[in-house]
Amino acid sequence: MPPRRTPPFRALALLFSLALTVLFTGCDNDPNPAPYHEKRPDGSPWRVRYNAIPSEPKSFDPQFAYDEIDHSILSAVYDTLVEYHPMKKAPVELIPCLLEEMPKKEVEAENKISYLCRLKKDVHFHDDPCFPEGKGREVIAEDVHYILQRMCDPKVESPFFSTLEQHIIGMHEARAEGIAKTGKFDYGTRISGFELIDKYTFRLHLNGPFPQLVYWMAMNAMSPVPREGVEYYDGEVHDGVLRAKWRFHTVGTGPFQMKEYVPRQRIRYIRNEGYHTSVFPSDGFEPHKAEWLKQFAGKSLPLYDELNTSIIIELIPAFVLGRQGYLDGITANKEAFGALVTSDQQLTPKYKARGMELEKVSTPGTFFISFNMQDPIVGKNAKLRQAIARAYDGRAYVEIFYSGVSPTSNQLLPRGLFGYDPNYVDPNRFDLESAKRLLAEAGYPDGIDPKTGAPLEITLDEPVSGTDERQRAEYEKRMFEAIGIKINIRESTYPRLIERYEQGSFQLGSGTGWMADFPDPENFFFLFYSKNFPREGANYCRYSSPEFDKLYEKMAVMEDTPERLAIIKKMNAMLAEDCPVIFTFDKAFYVATQPWARWTHNSPMIENGYNKYQQVDPVLRAKLRKEWNRPALWPLILLGILVAGALIYAIRWNRQNHV
Amino acid sequence: MFSYIVRRLLYSVPILLGVILITFTLDSVMMTPEAKALRVLGPKSAKQARDEWIHNRGLDRPIPQQFVQYVKNLATFNFGTTWVTGRSVRDVFLQGAGPSLLITVPGFFAALLASLGLALFQVFVRDSPLDRSLTIFSVALMSVPTMVYVIFTQAILALALNYFPAFGFEYGGIGMIRFLLLPVAIFMLINLGHDARMYRAIFLEEINQDYVRTAHAKGVSNTRVLTQHVFKNGLIAIITLVVADLPKLILGSLLIESLFGIPGVGSVLRQSIESGDQPVVMTSVFLGSALYLVGLILTDICYALADPRIRLS
Repeated sequence: MPPRRTPPFRALALLFSLALTVLFTGCDNDPNPAPYHEKRPDGSPWRVRYNAIPSEPKSFDPQFAYDEIDHSILSAVYDTLVEYHPMKKAPVELIPCLLEEMPKKEVEAENKISYLCRLKKDVHFHDDPCFPEGKGREVIAEDVHYILQRMCDPKVESPFFSTLEQHIIGMHEARAEGIAKTGKFDYGTRISGFELIDKYTFRLHLNGPFPQLVYWMAMNAMSPVPREGVEYYDGEVHDGVLRAKWRFHTVGTGPFQMKEYVPRQRIRYIRNEGYHTSVFPSDGFEPHKAEWLKQFAGKSLPLYDELNTSIIIELIPAFVLGRQGYLDGITANKEAFGALVTSDQQLTPKYKARGMELEKVSTPGTFFISFNMQDPIVGKNAKLRQAIARAYDGRAYVEIFYSGVSPTSNQLLPRGLFGYDPNYVDPNRFDLESAKRLLAEAGYPDGIDPKTGAPLEITLDEPVSGTDERQRAEYEKRMFEAIGIKINIRESTYPRLIERYEQGSFQLGSGTGWMADFPDPENFFFLFYSKNFPREGANYCRYSSPEFDKLYEKMAVMEDTPERLAIIKKMNAMLAEDCPVIFTFDKAFYVATQPWARWTHNSPMIENGYNKYQQVDPVLRAKLRKEWNRPALWPLILLGILVAGALIYAIRWNRQNHV
Repeated sequence: MFSYIVRRLLYSVPILLGVILITFTLDSVMMTPEAKALRVLGPKSAKQARDEWIHNRGLDRPIPQQFVQYVKNLATFNFGTTWVTGRSVRDVFLQGAGPSLLITVPGFFAALLASLGLALFQVFVRDSPLDRSLTIFSVALMSVPTMVYVIFTQAILALALNYFPAFGFEYGGIGMIRFLLLPVAIFMLINLGHDARMYRAIFLEEINQDYVRTAHAKGVSNTRVLTQHVFKNGLIAIITLVVADLPKLILGSLLIESLFGIPGVGSVLRQSIESGDQPVVMTSVFLGSALYLVGLILTDICYALADPRIRLS
């Protein structure tokens, strides 16, 4: 009769075998859900793209969402009136999307300008229960009036209203009139600046020149939404069914229809079968990709059938999934940079061998350190500001904290924008000798304040939420202190910092900059316009120059002409002379793309992985994923041997010592 | 016992009010309504939009008035809506509770079983080199930060050996298990070292009792003494320790959920702290305090039930 095993060992053996069983059932590391289909109706493989976003979306309401992440989502679902040419980079180019042709500018008088717009016919909203029989209806000009009304509705909390009400005639009045009776916006209120010409044609009347309106038309803020949808999705229970809130439901006209949104997990989209608003372009291809891109020219969009966007907030999991092939690209963030990019800004051999490519994304945005121009010390002393600016070594900073990826900036406009001067030489570039000379001329020889006999003390406000930011702050302090002054760092959270900037209670402030809403110089120079002081505007440094204001007012409403370029040059020179900010660097980062998901687009204004122009090779992906994700068996065997060894040892020890 | 429970529940009310007052005051002092609006709407938001946002949420009213309204809302379990997404906070917590419990409950019981097993095993081989090695191992488990467990398991088990998904979640079905294995294992490991050390100490105390010597004298085997006598008597102390932690399981694990993409209460809280979503953070603190108090009351009750010498009065 075999010896009876004792209960604890039986339990342990059971637990171990259970663990092994569970382990083997888990031998599939693909986190993505199964695609909606395996094949297309024509028998070809179903094409899915896999992306990730680094934060939870705040809203899918185009008239409310004002966030990079939300826009990346909206761009897949909603068409805009005009859009950026996907291949054209410097300069970017606008092309019609929902409009038949680019808006036609009509000038009757200086303060009587209008834009005539004609919508494409036969463009339908996505099928949705909000429509009769669930069939999406055609988009008409009145839908554009409706979205302007929505911006006027205070309940929508649209961040776009405050700008557009200044330019489109009647928006300001419509809000006041609309809420006058009940306090709730009455959608019967018409906006006088919107002229309905026919079912598809409308005219927008402006109270003055506003050439940036065409860029606004490329933003999702002006994407048509159906009134039926907004009213249907009220977040209430109807006939026993809970309807989503409009902020989290989409009814667009775009290339994809949102099929599923699981908060804090994923968003899934499926191709809009009836999409025919635009096709893949035939021009503007980058030379090194031109041959490959020709195959897509003129093809109907989108080029793939499904889009799966995972919400991955942490950096490490996003890198791990990218390495396993479960995402179509890996952003070279600080966790992934060392593995992906070599010191000379190339893809590392390991990832090159996988067939990946490195794409540099330079979105139009720039960062700077601001002086408070109303501060009694730094605000009144241009030479002191120039001296401090010349102590800042942007190249070393970018090399250390951004691995040399972000280009240093020497002027307000980032690369690629009209007005950016590649040959510009900043008089306030890094130069310690001239910095020290200027400091002496400013009244502080060797950084010593003659009133106190001690080094001049300046407070540097820094946004600090962790070690990274603290190291940056310390490095900036060290750079500035090289000329003999003393820098006191004041750490704040970012909102608190902005609040300080708004109140004007700072001397020197880091963490300021601007990401372009649209690629126009006006969108950057307005930061120094004196009528744009906080809280109404973002002129945090409180720069005020009547001459600059005049130039700005003129430049802001001009088309891109040599005259406008000349004005921009003058404004740049004024900023260099007055030195209200220290230019630091422009925004840029790398993305490593998988061999099956080469990028097609080139425009910095187009969202990286979400756009309709992207392509994917599902066959290559399936093959490579299989190769990259074979489970290893030897560790399980080793573990089994170790556990068995420990058990045998335990039994023998116990028999020898405790019996 | 009933009167004791009622009395304890009544004692809890001023404690909870104190917690609410402190968190509300801290929140009001630390951030102005303007800073809150900036945090949620972003630095590019227009003044008008921020003013509207502040007004719509009643943040422009006097602070005492806001506090009274807040307490009234809490009394009716109206936690309001999140500032960032506009969803109902109650719904957010209810939706997050399921995924959180899927990690914490199995992890908690797995840790309990494993630490009991390990502690018994160590007592079984007490004073041996293996016992000492396992003690060092337990201390090491206690010392390792959660983040290291996550990075290590993601790098080794998910990325290098390809056993599990490194990230993600799927609700329902057998497919869900593969997403839970690593998070549950880590939840277990985090507690294993500490619990095993504690249970070992409890069992060692029991093994030196007179009744154990008597059992040995009667010829009962070492294994039987351990499993039938020492284990059962040691459980009285262990149950009371365990019960206090049970209610808190619903709040999930902040770090594990975030790093594995589990859409539970822990990950909601993490995101809300980062995005300045005050209603969610305040509700978490309130629920955390309430559940902690419930845990303490349950502990007392369990003591009375498990040990006939104790009477609650």
